[in-house]
Amino acid sequence: MNAGEASVYRLLADNLPARAGKVALVDAGTTVREVSYAELDAMAGRVAAWLQAQGVASGERVIVHLVKGIDEVAAMFGTWRAGAVVVNVNHQWTPAQLAHVARDSGAKAAILRRGAMRALGDLPETVIVRLVQGGEEGLPEGAEAWDTLPDAMGDEVAVEPGDLAMLIYTSGSTGMPKGVMLTHRNIRLGAEAVTQYLRLGEDDRLLSVLPYSFDAGLNQLTTMLWTGGTVVHQGVVMAAEVVRAARDHGVTGIAGVPPLWNMIVRYLADAPMALPALRRVTNTGGKIGPDVLDMLPVVFPGVDICLMYGLTEAFRSTWLHPSKFAAKKGAIGQQIPHAQVFAIRADGGIAGPGEEGELVHAGPLVSLGYWEKPEMTAARIRPCPALRHIIGEAPVVWSGDLVRMDAEGDLWFVARMDDMIKAMGFRISPTEVEDALAESGIVAEVVAYGADDPAMGQRVEVAVRLLPGGNEAALMAHVRQRMPAYMQPRRVTVWDGAMPRTSSGKLDRQSVIRTVST
Amino acid sequence: MAVTMEELLEYLKVDQGVTEVEAGTELFSSGLLDSVAMMGIIGFIEEKGRFDVRPADVTLENFDTVARIVAYVAANA
Repeated sequence: MNAGEASVYRLLADNLPARAGKVALVDAGTTVREVSYAELDAMAGRVAAWLQAQGVASGERVIVHLVKGIDEVAAMFGTWRAGAVVVNVNHQWTPAQLAHVARDSGAKAAILRRGAMRALGDLPETVIVRLVQGGEEGLPEGAEAWDTLPDAMGDEVAVEPGDLAMLIYTSGSTGMPKGVMLTHRNIRLGAEAVTQYLRLGEDDRLLSVLPYSFDAGLNQLTTMLWTGGTVVHQGVVMAAEVVRAARDHGVTGIAGVPPLWNMIVRYLADAPMALPALRRVTNTGGKIGPDVLDMLPVVFPGVDICLMYGLTEAFRSTWLHPSKFAAKKGAIGQQIPHAQVFAIRADGGIAGPGEEGELVHAGPLVSLGYWEKPEMTAARIRPCPALRHIIGEAPVVWSGDLVRMDAEGDLWFVARMDDMIKAMGFRISPTEVEDALAESGIVAEVVAYGADDPAMGQRVEVAVRLLPGGNEAALMAHVRQRMPAYMQPRRVTVWDGAMPRTSSGKLDRQSVIRTVST
Repeated sequence: MAVTMEELLEYLKVDQGVTEVEAGTELFSSGLLDSVAMMGIIGFIEEKGRFDVRPADVTLENFDTVARIVAYVAANA
């Protein structure tokens, strides 16, 4: 069977004949909770029955705003069983952001965590159906309690593979968050592709720290359902808790983003812990600094290190085979199964070895674009003239990311095209500046950016959070020794405390730059 | 130097915008605060308590409630 030709709900349900009693999900933490595949399906059935009883029809949007855990997964798969569209809103988003997503998506129903009850009043009236986690006590009028949902199996509604399955809201550098439209086929093929290249199997137990409102986080769940494995939820983003959950639950894989690896690697360097079951760690959502990259194989001996790259608009895109990690630390590698990835030069041609270009992504993982934003979609997802002889007029995602191809065809991230700094006629990648500073070994986090300069056009500036014991003088000494003059930062702002993150845990560069520029 | 319950609650209110918190409210396991807030709290108690928090000490046992944080600082500062 072609993996793409069924519903996302079937990812769960197709496990039932063989694995009804197998543990599907574990909530780690002070009180451990787990459910089997059959139990999870029964929970999803209750949610589907409730949605259908409330008149939520196929294709209508349902907001899921719950803390990472079993209930969250049941809410999502109940929505899919009912043929409706999941809009997972990160539990840390504010009531105002939640209300924006509810309005923008035109959601008819919302399933909320207990702590978000005060957000109920901010929801638009179009959200007529409201379910709140927990019991009935203290619930406001018009909301129903999760705990008292009747025991019923809602009907499984048939969908087409090309139908909308999920909206993933992403905040760009400008404007309000917009919803990326993923189809059932996008999500299922993404599950198959990642399962295949990471060689996941039913004996795998993946640790889920990244939110399900983020493509890579969601993909961990869908790969485990695709292969009949187990997901262990760890919602607390403390390095010690993440590592402990990995050990206590025999986790075989951990997925993270750079700030998370930064924390975990420094923690393990301070307090080493053996994780004998661990087979692989994966990174996505940006480039890890060179000092942390160097430490990864030290704190995770014998573990495969997989560097990945994904665009929400095309779900997942490239990866670097772990056998190449030592030689190519920091590269994003090559296209994954079901993806066709190219770099397109500034002159419009296809970039070859040694050349740079904008990463573009074609194939069945390409999403339908942005919800109710046809102009924005057409600007970002459109045919590529240079690829006409290969894929015709099929739309490709233009990533806005500048990459370089090496002699073996592996891609290296250079910079966001908008972020490139042009100083004294040189084109400088902020990543290159950041890597050079991180090599000092005294930098915890760093963001480099271009500032207008009357003499140079632009000049390099940086915001840095120093590690304990580091100081600006030592950093500048390193800069003068290590970096060519045109690349040296002309202004250094020392940042107190952690730098802000986006809801998926990535470094929020634009917010840092705005703060230090004013 | 110790940190008092009142100082920490005041910090959470002023710097983190968290008002409905009591001594025993679960800050992190409940999802109320995120990792950026955690770094902020660590910075606050390091400055107030004049000591360095070891990465290995940043656990739910030591940090999940205001009462636990105060006890942790008292034992280590």
